[in-house]
Amino acid sequence: MLRLLQRTPVITPETPDEALVRRAQQGESAAFKALFERHVVSVRRFLRDLLRQSDLADDATQETFARAHAQLVKLADHDRFKPWVLGIARNVAFEARRVRQHDVLEDEDDGTPSAVIPSPDPERVLLDAELEKHFTEAMGTLSANRRAALLMRLDHGLGYEDIAAAFGWSIPTVKNEIHRARLKLRAHLLPHLTGENS
Amino acid sequence: MSRCGRTAQLEAVAMGETSPAVSMELRAHVKQCALCRHELNWLETESAMFRQRAGRDEVAELWKGVEKRRGLSVEPRSWPRVLVAMAAAAVLLVMVGRAAPQQTSMATDSFSVEETLESSMLASPAFLFFEPSEPCSKLPSGVGFQCSPVVPASFLASR
Ligand SMILES: [Zn+2]
Repeated sequence: MLRLLQRTPVITPETPDEALVRRAQQGESAAFKALFERHVVSVRRFLRDLLRQSDLADDATQETFARAHAQLVKLADHDRFKPWVLGIARNVAFEARRVRQHDVLEDEDDGTPSAVIPSPDPERVLLDAELEKHFTEAMGTLSANRRAALLMRLDHGLGYEDIAAAFGWSIPTVKNEIHRARLKLRAHLLPHLTGENS
Repeated sequence: MSRCGRTAQLEAVAMGETSPAVSMELRAHVKQCALCRHELNWLETESAMFRQRAGRDEVAELWKGVEKRRGLSVEPRSWPRVLVAMAAAAVLLVMVGRAAPQQTSMATDSFSVEETLESSMLASPAFLFFEPSEPCSKLPSGVGFQCSPVVPASFLASR
């Protein structure tokens, strides 16, 4: 009885990604749209940070979700939609970037040791337009690969294992890349931050 | 340059990935350890910047582009299924009541509410179409409630 009502339960904000992935894999478009709505903001920001151009990011976001829909049947870990879709976004961005100029291709590791840099006061961080400009510039000094790894961890909260899987890197490599990315970001931002003792 | 063995654990604290107990214990250590304090200040500064930036994100209407690329179609749900089913059940109960007024008080006893729902749904072709995005709705009316989810051809083609 009531088989139909039970077969397609209503999608709510509490419906886990895992359930949405299963339902979308069975062809339920509404479930895929719910996954889209849940993750589009992150994916779009990730792509904007990688491509550094809003219109390209919009197009790449649509391409990312179109590919995700096409490849969804391959996603065996139903609860890993976010890292999986960010991995697709990264591939889409890297394909788009092939035709772009002025990108940092290699990171030169002249890294300033972190201990000699004073630390800022996190309580007083206000990302106003000026600081955001420096933040964006600092990100632009990183190679796209290193930037992508840093963003996946710091902005999108992925674990090192997920990032390693997305890049095909070892976990120590991921840790090293993110560490170096952080040092560079810090060195770039320090002059624009309020120090602990100032 | 000196090191502290606990510095590596701080990232999880800054990102809210540790239990409250571990977090409290590490924060107590940070108060005593200049190296860890320095690192945690940076980690929390980074987290604050990313958080503030994410908080002001806006995304334009991008779903249309995905629909177009994948031939998807998702109509907005106007009425949740359960509400529609309940409304139909209510209509049926009223109709039963009018046809046999002397049995009105027996109506809910003589057959279960669930039976009422199912028979009312089968009696009403409108039910088969109230949610056109559902795969089942692609089947001809009358078999809608026996169908299994249908995988769109575009989805199969991508396998
Ligand atoms: Zn320490």
